[in-house]
Amino acid sequence: MDLREAPKFLFLASAALMALLVLLIFGFITRAAAPVLVKEGFGFVTGSVWDYDTHTYGILVFIAGTLILTAVTMTMVAPIGILTAIYLAEWAPAPVERILRPSIELLVGIPSVVFGLFGFFVLRDYFANTINPTISRILGWIPFFRDVNPGSGTGILLAATILSVMTLPTIVALSQEAIRSVPSDYREASLALGATKWETIRHVILPSAFAGIITSIVLAMMRAIGETMAVVMVLGNLPQVPGSILGEGYAMTSKILNDIAYVLVDPEQLSAIFGIALILFVIEIGMVAFVRAFSAQIGRVWR
Amino acid sequence: MINWRRRGAELFMKILCLASAIAGSLMLFLIIGSVFIGAIPSLTFYFLMTPESATPHIGMGILNAIVGTVMLSVTATLIAIPLALGTAVYLQRYARPGYLVSAIRFFIEVLSGTPSVVLGMFGFLIFVYYMKAVTGGFSLMSGSIALSILIMPVIERAIEDAIMTVDQSLEEGSYALGATKYQTIRGITLPVALSGIMTGIILGFGRAAEESAVVILTAGYTQFMPELAIRANPKFIFGMKIYPAQDLIASLPYAVYHAYENSNVIPLSNGFAAAFVLICVVLVINLAARVVLHLGMNRRRGFPDTGRLVRFFAPRRVDRVVEPIGTSPETQPACPFRELELEQSGNPQISGNKRIYRNQGQKP
Repeated sequence: MDLREAPKFLFLASAALMALLVLLIFGFITRAAAPVLVKEGFGFVTGSVWDYDTHTYGILVFIAGTLILTAVTMTMVAPIGILTAIYLAEWAPAPVERILRPSIELLVGIPSVVFGLFGFFVLRDYFANTINPTISRILGWIPFFRDVNPGSGTGILLAATILSVMTLPTIVALSQEAIRSVPSDYREASLALGATKWETIRHVILPSAFAGIITSIVLAMMRAIGETMAVVMVLGNLPQVPGSILGEGYAMTSKILNDIAYVLVDPEQLSAIFGIALILFVIEIGMVAFVRAFSAQIGRVWR
Repeated sequence: MINWRRRGAELFMKILCLASAIAGSLMLFLIIGSVFIGAIPSLTFYFLMTPESATPHIGMGILNAIVGTVMLSVTATLIAIPLALGTAVYLQRYARPGYLVSAIRFFIEVLSGTPSVVLGMFGFLIFVYYMKAVTGGFSLMSGSIALSILIMPVIERAIEDAIMTVDQSLEEGSYALGATKYQTIRGITLPVALSGIMTGIILGFGRAAEESAVVILTAGYTQFMPELAIRANPKFIFGMKIYPAQDLIASLPYAVYHAYENSNVIPLSNGFAAAFVLICVVLVINLAARVVLHLGMNRRRGFPDTGRLVRFFAPRRVDRVVEPIGTSPETQPACPFRELELEQSGNPQISGNKRIYRNQGQKP
């Protein structure tokens, strides 16, 4: 063999090793989760009772907690993030952008445990005393906005607010990139036809950047679903399906973090916890596959 | 004629967009500000410079956590760099499009999107539980290996982006001089991409420093400073326990979580102070990454200006590459690469510039 080819195999080996690592993690978690998955079958996903004493493991409550939390988060963050991206990409003068953009991007650098601390010790009182009663008073006739546990600030809304701030930089950065990658010919053609800037954005730029914006939202969703520390601190950890955005819930990641230290001695309980991790992992892989299919249209947008 | 309705819509949307941009960027200052205000009572020199084991009550000092975070992040980054660099070079310079490459890319994307708690569980069961005799359970070793898996895709992606910006004509010049692919990558591609590579490494370091779930599940917490020692301990492989690698290690994220969990005993301001120190560490790392990147990149639109990058980082090498062969006054031909010079005297079999000698009618 030609010695000059040797580095190629070294590089190939490191790439293969990294790919194998993912397979190893997935295989290992599947193996660890297998006993309970076999025992419970589909009931693991559809059952809503999680009881170590009766050996019943259904994670519907936790899946519902995660999904409702993520949905509320996305409803809050997607409009703000996209509008911010539009402003930064289309309207902002250079000096303004130089201030606004780094301060949004640096939000990525705030550790999630600090977000949790901020939410629990700073925002919670404010939510309990001001925001939750106000929402309940104005919109309380809709069950979804009823304050089910007055006086406690923790719950879906607080967690979603925290998660919105955490995922904002993802949406802003990627949407901005997508908006910028729209060819300037399109812009100029629309402006030359007499459209205003907003009409150009609304009818030309946003449709062209659609795939990129959707990608950014899905990536932000992945961050929200996988987030652990902040959620465990502010969601309330009440094992029930939250019936209101002011109610408390229990997310899949929180269940893992709270229980793993206590279940180590019992293989079945440990396996059940790994079952939650497997479902999380499968959701995440599905979203990655979706993003790949989507971003194939617009090239590399992943960051 | 001016259409007031269209003008109004334009103005309204512009103000709405500006308002959301300002709201988003205010959050950063709101969070840092309120954490700082909460931290003021505890931000003393004593608090920062005393390990928790030397204080009268729990949570009164965080030097052990600061040192632990730095050690964890450094080791995790060092473990992650070789694999990330190798993978990035392979994907950018060696791989041909096909199933293998798209599979590898898919796996890397899955890895970078994996919830940290899932990676933490993986590390918990494999390193902490099954490999207890080697890693020492909750330890610096377990923690940094698990963290390195987490930050590997971050570093890999940044290095790939940096390699992508390298000007093709530089590499072609190198090939034209008879350099092999590996010599070109070592002598041209990686040095030119250096600022981007450093940025990726710094970002990975910051990601490791801020991660909490993985650290809680694999590194544990201790009130004591890491110590350097080897002691006999029959529970471990080779019958000895190596400090600090196989010992528990504290970290700032865990110190913050600790303050939250024990908020009835630890004063609230101590938790905020630990959080503030953590924010400062991570923000300084992030700013450093920006500075390094902006040294070599065009700042205005975020698009890399390769010409400036090359002028900044590789003037000497580039000069030597573009020097035409044969114009060198010495009897030896111009040799663009230090590697080639070494190989000339060492192993003649892999000297890539044989052809150059032949062209000049000289024998090496």
